[in-house]
This record gives sequence, structure tokens and C-alpha cells, in this order.
Amino acid sequence: MPQIPIERRSLDNGLRVVLSRDPRAPLVAVNLWYDVGSKHEKPGKTGFAHLFEHMMFQGSANVEKGQHFSLIQAAGGTLNASTWLDRTNYFETLPGHELELALWLEADRMASLLPAMTQEKLDNQRDVVKNERRWSVDNQPYGSWDERMQALVYPEAHPYHHSTIGSMEDLSAASLEDVGEFFSTYYAPNNAVLTVAGDFETDAAMTMIERHFGPIPPNQELPPPPDMSIEPLLGQELRETVPDQVSLPRVYLAHRTPPFGTDAFDALDVAADILGSGRASRLYAALVRTQRLAQDVSVFVFPIVGGASMFVLWVTARPGVTTEALESATLAEIDRLATHGPTDADLERVRNLHAAHFAGGLERISERADRLSMYTCLFDEPERINSELERREAVDAGRVMDALRDSVRPDNRLVLTFVPAEAAS
Amino acid sequence: MIARPIAGAPRPYRFPDFEQHRLANGLGVWLVPLPDRELVSIHLLTDAGAAAEDEAQAGIAALTAQLLVTGTRRLDAADFAETTERLGIDVGSESSWDSARAGFTALGSKLDDGLTLLAEMILTPRLDPKEFDRLRSERLNDILQARADPGRLADESFLREVFAADVPYGRLSAGTPETLEALSVEDASAFHATHYAPSVADIVISGAIDPSRTLAAVERHLGGWEGTGPGHRTIEPRQRGGRRVVLVDRPGSVQSELRVGHLGIHRGDARYFPAMVMAALLGGVFGSRLNLRLREELGYTYGARAAFDPRRAPGPFTASAAVQTEVTVDAIRELIGQLERIREAAPTEDELAEVRDFLIGVFPLRFETTGGIAGAIEPLAVYDLPADWWHTYRDRLEAVGTAEVHAVARELVRPDEALILLTGDAAKLRTELEEADLGPVQVVSAS
Repeated sequence: MPQIPIERRSLDNGLRVVLSRDPRAPLVAVNLWYDVGSKHEKPGKTGFAHLFEHMMFQGSANVEKGQHFSLIQAAGGTLNASTWLDRTNYFETLPGHELELALWLEADRMASLLPAMTQEKLDNQRDVVKNERRWSVDNQPYGSWDERMQALVYPEAHPYHHSTIGSMEDLSAASLEDVGEFFSTYYAPNNAVLTVAGDFETDAAMTMIERHFGPIPPNQELPPPPDMSIEPLLGQELRETVPDQVSLPRVYLAHRTPPFGTDAFDALDVAADILGSGRASRLYAALVRTQRLAQDVSVFVFPIVGGASMFVLWVTARPGVTTEALESATLAEIDRLATHGPTDADLERVRNLHAAHFAGGLERISERADRLSMYTCLFDEPERINSELERREAVDAGRVMDALRDSVRPDNRLVLTFVPAEAAS
Repeated sequence: MIARPIAGAPRPYRFPDFEQHRLANGLGVWLVPLPDRELVSIHLLTDAGAAAEDEAQAGIAALTAQLLVTGTRRLDAADFAETTERLGIDVGSESSWDSARAGFTALGSKLDDGLTLLAEMILTPRLDPKEFDRLRSERLNDILQARADPGRLADESFLREVFAADVPYGRLSAGTPETLEALSVEDASAFHATHYAPSVADIVISGAIDPSRTLAAVERHLGGWEGTGPGHRTIEPRQRGGRRVVLVDRPGSVQSELRVGHLGIHRGDARYFPAMVMAALLGGVFGSRLNLRLREELGYTYGARAAFDPRRAPGPFTASAAVQTEVTVDAIRELIGQLERIREAAPTEDELAEVRDFLIGVFPLRFETTGGIAGAIEPLAVYDLPADWWHTYRDRLEAVGTAEVHAVARELVRPDEALILLTGDAAKLRTELEEADLGPVQVVSAS
């Protein structure tokens, strides 16, 4: 795998800059990670980090509402933003000669969002976000799985206890004062990483970055990171049944695990692929193809860094299959892997599939930029993009077995079962 | 304060040059060498989409396509999955209305192995009855799941209601419970024998390839493929009824999924470019009229959009949004209002320029990946578009003016004939909809 070129810089105000030049296509990606996510929200303010992300598109001192989108699009670019537990990211991909437009827009809102804020804009985006929640959670089969899982796997005082979308009640309570305080606290150059990837000249790009971001003052009083400490295991098996508007029952299994960035997490990432990635994966082969108990299976880990992550499986029952039968068949496959370990063929399969998917993802400069920002923001180590495959390939059978035995065990398991509402009543 | 920067000169970009060949058996071969890539994408396209199937066998095209990845004469389902995945090859096989596609993206070093397995899969599929039964029952389960999902329920209900009863586009392209129950692996075998033929197939390979070596490899693996497929079946879409409201009852819904529209255009329509620009301006980009009004001004939705779905015959034109239940009727009025407005007056030059500049400027970004480039060749092969399609594409967009956008809007957007379909809570919506004078209201059950 060819190495991704990386140049690290930083500005006097603390903004960390990562440059990755690749002139193959006349395109450039600009990507900003702010070290603020839903884990930074205060009690009663769930969903605010994400609502705030929406406000970042409502204009700033020199940009009208909607103009961020219209200027980038008229330049032939695409853009968006997202908020998750650990972070908020903002990104544009556009023709290389328009690089400075994206930098100017990002710097203008980092420097001067608040003069453009109004109650009307906040009320509008609050309604939009509530409709986003209705669409993705409240009106969606199984839509509340994530929110329920986080609430049960993380204790009430833990910052991962609540989901990023937040509650309707807290969204209703968000005020312009909250916008001002959140902006002043977290939207500072010394709390952000800026990555530029693609077709640019390094010196020219650094001059532009200095020109637009250099004058923005840092926040000298960044708050300390939230306390993410947590017991490594749940200490018991938790079970909850959720009647929902679904046609087929589905069982979610979640386990507390070491966080993203640890060796154990890498081993669980490999275990997840062995169990659930591809038609030759253990669970697909056993539950979907051979035993025909499941309509589908999915296994994954959450790449989050605070205290504990989660190893999650879901399996959807075929009609006539009980959730008990499905759960026990799923656990039998996990136990078989934990007890006997993966074969060389399992490891070769997930190594080569992962290598192809990884290379496929990195074909896009936007994906490269986002990973560089991620590794810098979370680990202060953008070079991890170039050791990611090696770290995964270093996972052997013993590490997979150890990681499964340590984390994927009954006294560390949430079993969340969705059943059709009419059947439950 | 620093003023908005002025852009420098753009670096020229050209859609990659490609080679077109035809083997003696009729197979079209499209090769796009991209020497600086490490990946290769292969798409094998066959005229074996849902348009090719008999109505009584609806779903056979989709099932046959899916069945191809469940083994070959040499390898059973488990062995085929294991063999491909150990090479890092994640093979997909699916069908649309107008074609079936099998293929993958993998490291360039896997090209020969991948081509061998792809050819084996197409030429000598296992067509295992057990796997066929499994896929068929999974499809039946998927239909059950779609009924519980408001977005899918709205999409499927809209197609069923907008087309006249005997138009194939109105049925589910992946089959209905009735047709699926009657299908057997023999039907898949017959469909494969008839429709998977080199005379109606094309292979597209883009990425890290040497064209002459790759052409020789294609000849080696697929040159012995024999057969002649039938010509395209003609579909003549007609709409069912005029302006009316259909409410698909989904009790307890906190949002209504709106689908408003009528017949659209076919892929070869002479108005293709102005229609695409007009649809983008109306509902194809973030700053479109529908999204700005329903989301950024009113906050009724997370997003509103509109699009044509051009196929070999005219597919639907649909405006859509998921809106909170309480504002459903007003959201429909607003949405219809935007359909009327785009007919009433031409857009300003500025409004048009923003959308047109986006569609032109985003051109290189669409072709960043080997898979994106292979995908761009597909409509050339499937719809027999001219080989210079992508080379003239931006000029043809550039030529679209405000008067032309207005003219296609008057011809192709017809709110007076629109079907207004929504899924939502009838207990809360029925009376209000009936009193709203949007057209006759029919309430149907979701199942």
C-alpha cells in the first residue's frame, strides 16, 4: 500500500494543520475537526453540539445564511458536516483552484459566527433538527437502538450515556446564550485540526491558511476534557425488550470494550469482520445461509476514544424464528470463535477484504482528509493513517481469542430485543 | 476583515480516454486505463433487468442476479464466498429495470483472478435450488420490512399508484409476494439461459490495467461465451388518473413521507440536459427552491428534493420530503406551490448560473474513483449513448439557458396532474386532507 504523504504544521494560535498533497486530480479537500462532540454537552443540553453544527451554516460576519452552501456549490464543490460523540467535522471538496474560498468560509465562521446569529435562525434549525430526529429515530423501524444502547451500556454520569441527536425536550430548551457560550468555549483554533488534501502547492496553501486562520485568537481557557472514566465491564447481563413498529424482531448485543486506539480494540475490529463482514463470515454463513434463522447480521465496533467503546452485533430474525433461538445461535458462533480461535483462512480473508475496502475509501481525497483529521484530533498522530493496515495485520489468532474472552462475555452484555408492537401487547 | 478570495485559473480536466472493443461473440468491451491507480473496477452489464421479465415472473431478474454470487458449478455457495473474499474481492450482483450488473473493485493485482471468477460465475452458475429458495424467502421478508419503513412504503406505494395498472414500472422490480411464491430455480435457469448472452452484454474495466493484456484476458475468459439475447422489451408508461391524494395509513407516525409527482422522461429524451438542470434548481442541491423553502425557511423537514428517474422508457418525476405530521397539509401546499412557481416564470440568470456552475464544476469530483469511472461508462453501454457523451457533457450543460429551463418546466412539471401520495397517521390527517381541496382523497392501509 503506498504511503499517504503527510506534512504537519501549526499556527501560533494553536491551530494544527495537516497537509497531504496528491495532484492526480485537480481537486482539493478541506476538512476541519473540532475537538467537541456530544460527550462535551452539559446535563439538560443533549443534542446541542449537533444543533450547533447546523448553526454553523446559518452565516457569519461576512457570509449570508445559506451562502456557505451556495458559494461552494457554485464553485463545483460538495460540502457537509457531522457531529458524533467525540467530535464535530466540517468538510468541503472542490476544484483545486478554489481552495482559498473554502479556507475563507471556514475561517470566517470560526472567527465570527456570533454576529450573524438570530433567534429566528435558531428556531428554524431547531425545527430542522427535530425533523432529523423524527426521520432517523422516532419514525424509523429500530430507530432508537443507538440511543437505548448508549443509555444502558454507559452509566448516567458518563458522557456517552446520551446519544448525539439528543432529546426533543433538550432541543426545545436550547437558547441563543447557549450558542454563544458553546462557540466561545469550543470553536477556537487551538481546539481544531485543519487538513488540506489533494491538488495544492504547499507554500501557497500555508500562506492562505496563515492569512485566514492566523488572526483568530485562541481560547486561553479551554475547559479540561470531560471525565470519561468508567468500569471496564458492565458487571452483569442487562436485558431489555422494546415493542416497536417493526415487521421482524431484531436482537442487538452490546459489550463494553477498550476504546479505539488500543491493541484490544484492533483485535475486536478484526473479530467483528471475521464474524460479520462478507458472505463467508462466520455469522452470515451459519445464521443466514446454513441455519436460515436470520434475515441479516451486522457486527461492528464504535471508533470512540473516551473510557470505553462498544462491540455491537445485530441479527434480524426470520419469520417464525424466536429471538431466544436467534440469540443462542449467535452466541454459539461467538463462543466457537473465542474458544477455538480464527483459522488462517479467516485471518487472510478479513485482511484482504479490509485492504481492498481501505484502499477504496482512500481513493477519495475527502476520506483521506477526514482520517488525517481524525488521527490528529484523537491521537495527535496523523501518521496512524499509514500504520492502520499494519496494526490490523498484526492481530493474530491469540489476540482475537483474548479480546473476545475479555470483553464479549455474559457479565458484560446488553441484550436489546426489538419485537413487533402488536405481538408484544 | 479579509474579502472573499478570487479563484485562480482552473486546471483543465478531461474525462479519461477509454477504448471500445467488441469480441466476435458480440460482447462489448470498454477499457479505461488509469495508470496511477492501485485499484481496478470491473462491471459486467447484461440486458437482464426487470424490464426483460414477464409480469407473471416479476422478481426473476433480481433473484437471478443475486443467485449468481451463490456459487458456480465448481464452487458451492460457501466455497465461492471463501475463494473470492480471500482474494479481497467483494463481488456484487444486482439488477435495475434496464440491466443486470455483476462486478467488484479490488486491488489491481487481483485483476486476473477476479476476471476468472467473474466469468465462471456468469457462464457456469451453480443455480442451486436451496440458495434460490433462501434468496426468495429473504426477498419476501424484505417486503415485510419495507411495509414497516415509512420511506420505503412511500416510495413503493407511489410507484404502484402513479402508473396505470398494466405498466410494469408500477410493480416492485424485485417482485411481489404473489409472483415470488410462484417462482422456482428452473425459472431462474431459463431467465439466465435467455438473457445472459454476450450479444446483449458489456464489460467495463477501469483502473490499474494494461489495455492490450486486459483485452486478451477478457477474450480468454469470456470469448467462449455463446448466445444471442432478445431485443429490449418495449414499456409504454401511462399514468393512472389525474390529480389526487392517496394517504397510506401508518398509525402512530410522527412524520408524513410525501411523494408528489407524475410521469417523467426517458433516458434518450432530447430535453435531457435542460431537464436535469431544472430538476437540480427545483430540488437537486442544498440551495434548491424546495429545500430552501421547506427546510431553511419553514423548518418543516430535514430535507426536500425533486428528481427525474429516466429509464429506457419514461420513469417517474418525484418531489419528496419527510415532514412532521402537524404541518403535513401546509407542506403539501408549499411543495405544490414550488412546482407551480417553476412553471410560472423563468429563473433568473444568477439562480440558473449557480446550479449550472455546480453541475459543470463538480464534474471531476464525480470521477474520483475507479468505480465512479466504470459507473460513468454504464449508461453509454446500456443506453447506446454517443462515445463522446462525457467529453461534450459540460458544454451541453453550459448551453442551457433560462428560457430553456422555463420551457422544460412548463412541459415536464405538471402539478395539476400530480399524484400526491403520503404515508402518515390517517387518524390525524384524513379530515384535514379532505378539507384541503388538494384533490380527491383516498385512504389505503399499509399492508
